[in-house]
Amino acid sequence: MFLCYNKMSFAIKLTLKQALPIASRSSIILQNVYNYSSKATSQDNFYNNFTDWETLSKKKKVSKAMRAYLERAKEHDEFMKKQQFEYNIGKRHLANMMGEDPETFTQKDVDRAVEYLFPSGIYDRAARPLMKPPEEVFPARKAAEFDEAGWPHHFLFYTGKPNFFKLLYDITENIQDLYKYGDKVIRKKEVTDEKLLLNITGSVWLTKDQLEQLLVETVTDLEYDNFKLAMDRLVSLPHSHIYKDFIEKFRKPLATQRFALEIPKPSYDENGNAFVTTYECLRKKARGDVTIKSPGTGKITINGQDLTYFEDTQSREQVIFPLIFTGMQDKVDIVCNIEGGGPSGQSGAIRWGIAWGLRSFVDKDMLEAMQLAGLLTRDHRRRERKKPGQPGARKKPTWKRR
Amino acid sequence: MSNFRYKVGPIAKCVFQTQSPRSNLWCTLMQYRFYPRPTSFPDYFQNPIFRKEDQAKLIESNELTKLAALPVKPPAAYETSSVYHDPLVSKLINHVMKMGNKKLARNLVEKAFENIKRIQIERYHLATTPEEKAKVVLNPKDILHKAVENSKPLLQLLPIKRGGITYQVPGPITEKRSLFLAIKWLLEATNDKERTIHFPEQFAWELLDAANNTGKVVKRKQDIHRQCEANRAYAHYRWQ
Amino acid sequence: MLSRNLRFLSRRYSQGVTFRTTETSPSQQNENQIGLFYTVNNDVCKQLFGHGGLPKSYMKQTKTFTETSLMVRLPALDIINCIKATDFDKPVIRYMLYGEIGAGKSLTLAHLLHYAYEDGYLIVHVPWVSEWLRRVPRHKEMSNSPTHEGLVDLPLDGAAWLLHFKMQNQVLLKKGNLKISKEYVWSKREQTPEGAPLAELIEHGITRVKYACDVIDALISEIKILSNSKQCKTFVAIDGFNTFFYPLTRLSTPTKKKVTPEEVTLTKSFMELTKNDWVNGVIILTADQLGVSQDHQESHLPKYLLYKKGFEHIDPFVPVEVGRYSEREFMSCASYYRDRLWLRGPRETEGELKLASACNPYKFMELCAPL
Repeated sequence: MFLCYNKMSFAIKLTLKQALPIASRSSIILQNVYNYSSKATSQDNFYNNFTDWETLSKKKKVSKAMRAYLERAKEHDEFMKKQQFEYNIGKRHLANMMGEDPETFTQKDVDRAVEYLFPSGIYDRAARPLMKPPEEVFPARKAAEFDEAGWPHHFLFYTGKPNFFKLLYDITENIQDLYKYGDKVIRKKEVTDEKLLLNITGSVWLTKDQLEQLLVETVTDLEYDNFKLAMDRLVSLPHSHIYKDFIEKFRKPLATQRFALEIPKPSYDENGNAFVTTYECLRKKARGDVTIKSPGTGKITINGQDLTYFEDTQSREQVIFPLIFTGMQDKVDIVCNIEGGGPSGQSGAIRWGIAWGLRSFVDKDMLEAMQLAGLLTRDHRRRERKKPGQPGARKKPTWKRR
Repeated sequence: MSNFRYKVGPIAKCVFQTQSPRSNLWCTLMQYRFYPRPTSFPDYFQNPIFRKEDQAKLIESNELTKLAALPVKPPAAYETSSVYHDPLVSKLINHVMKMGNKKLARNLVEKAFENIKRIQIERYHLATTPEEKAKVVLNPKDILHKAVENSKPLLQLLPIKRGGITYQVPGPITEKRSLFLAIKWLLEATNDKERTIHFPEQFAWELLDAANNTGKVVKRKQDIHRQCEANRAYAHYRWQ
Repeated sequence: MLSRNLRFLSRRYSQGVTFRTTETSPSQQNENQIGLFYTVNNDVCKQLFGHGGLPKSYMKQTKTFTETSLMVRLPALDIINCIKATDFDKPVIRYMLYGEIGAGKSLTLAHLLHYAYEDGYLIVHVPWVSEWLRRVPRHKEMSNSPTHEGLVDLPLDGAAWLLHFKMQNQVLLKKGNLKISKEYVWSKREQTPEGAPLAELIEHGITRVKYACDVIDALISEIKILSNSKQCKTFVAIDGFNTFFYPLTRLSTPTKKKVTPEEVTLTKSFMELTKNDWVNGVIILTADQLGVSQDHQESHLPKYLLYKKGFEHIDPFVPVEVGRYSEREFMSCASYYRDRLWLRGPRETEGELKLASACNPYKFMELCAPL
């Protein structure tokens, strides 16, 4: 091989260097060149080979973009391999430190170990120390978008976001198909089966970030809204169940039915009366706990005082709201302790506490009704902070045109 | 553009789980920090349905289970499921409220209703025949509904500029805007009152007048309608 | 007209079974009628409460309901029974009504006044003490007292009160049995001789406003003498008694110095009256949080409201608590409001209102107002 190389003219050497992909300088190709340079004339070989000038000319034009890409890809691959290697070693070290078996050390164990060894008081979870496999940590990159000569693989490459626009193209195609299908059905006067209709309650479209992750491309707000509109159009068509899989790919199911899980069983006090305590009742800055005693008379005690603890009618109405809604106003007794916040926050916290505790004493239909009324939703809203340069959280200084 | 950043804040965990004095101090300090939390619920939360009548409708159409599986926003601090709660009254109280003083606003509106009730009961007792007695409306909320209905405009005047001149062109009005204008006019009419007369009394008179199709607010609505009728010729300017 | 009245009456009868009672005389009422409403005659009402006595919000209700009716409640009945059973030869017993804001103390007092009027007592009724000491318009007419050194007089208030007294006790005064025992010299030319009827003394006080407070002093000593000599039995009712012992009033002398209640002659007079050194009478007092300023309204108990001085002054006394509505009373009140067209809506709302108002009568009335 070395001899052939020396025999070749300098020009050919150069072109060879440019043409050949770095990773594969195999003997087969060189042999071809050798054949060329020594004027190979055997008939069978002739048809096996490409027309040598074309091949050469093709191979000559490895675009700069391609070259750059190839270099970057190689670097990235090496980098990822190194990270993976380090990650594995790190995992084994961690397992040793924790005194556990390195072979059966899962990701969850890794997280636990990191949290234990590097306790952090930072609230932002993304800013705390973490150790995850490099695929999750480093963003995904696209594979080769164009081949050696520079011809792009994807027909929409020159849009700049081929995956996204392919998606929109697919959606439109599906919509057109469904129109045709619908027309066919009407012509044939067939009756569609009700059960096949698509049920999209209980799930939402992917968020913009999730879509970006899926497509490995950036998506602007306008494009995302367009995507949502198109998908909604697709779903609204009568026979959309045909493309159910396609649609399901882009739907995220919501975390539901949490209110129906883990309903606490009431404990019993000395007299045999059932009672349920809900701790951590929060609303704004109010914190407290609520105890509901089952065979009761409708007595309400707040911090040792009667309902007169709240002087204004609105707070009182809020406290009574769950009782009236479920009709348990004279069947339970309520004792609560509350501190912090103002009347609105405290009464909101008690309302949630009562509703949450009543789950144990109420049947399934009423439970669903309560959930629909929103009584069981924890109110996580807090006061928005004031930002610098503005008088308030949202209020801006007077707008001047110039 | 999403306006919330959802981060799990362990403030509550701090308060309830740690017991040592040092961490208590840390926790109380933490409590004063305004940690970024969502100030509104994400889009996929549904609005709550807590009135008994609305829920009854859903039970009939068997959609209760499906909707209960979704996340639902909690009802606001002034909404209850009691029979006496009226969304129009809540809206009115919000419009009357100034500087966030809901207590005072609610008080004023309730006193106005009381005044209406007293006036109407007096009229009821003065009325002699049962037919007349039946005509007297005693429920102040009904009077409010009637008054708002009578003072809602059906068209509005839009200023459209053509060739340098701004014409007042009659155009359609949405339900929401029409309601908003009705309440705004009622409150404006009430606020042009004598210094010695209190807001609830004046408001009661305005509502009774409006419910009777007399009074300043209804006149204003009729003026708008008359102007719209007068400017009918310019209606096509909206589409030029 | 007649047919309408009949229809009206028949409707009333059918509904009156649940919350009304036809027993209009307080002396005849007993436990069967707890929670039921009875109507007070309009004339009696005007006579007794012409110059105050009923709370302002209640007066508005009377106008709307076109009648004055009171609910028969346990505290009032208890006191009436005690009064019936007292031995009038012993020194006067003092009853202290106390309770939360809006529990019904003033109306209980009104009920007892009605009873006293029917039973023929001589009524000494102070409608609301804070009116004198704390309701001060821009300028309150005060004068330095001529008889008592260094004390302040409230002549107009005194005269108004004398008028009120006269109206309440018209019947008894007209009979003319009550005579004063000694002579009072007001000035060089004015005097009230011995043996003149009480009415004359009162007239003098009303016409000569300058001497009104002195007249009140004289009146009180006369009443004590008359009661001791069994010529009449007296019923004293003071609403907001704790205001006399609150350290401040809203009055101030022309020199901008704040006046304490002890420096007002009226206080002194009524302290005299509430001492238990006389017989043949009944004293009923109320301790009300609304009589003092907002900062000192923490508790409704008499010991807190009366301060040490007041407590010692009226010790021993019989405390009577006026509580919130019981179940039965609440339902009866709700039915009454429905009948009077004050409350409308389905029946279930009563449960809600009961919880929301926590059975406080005043709060319940407020809650029903806009509904």
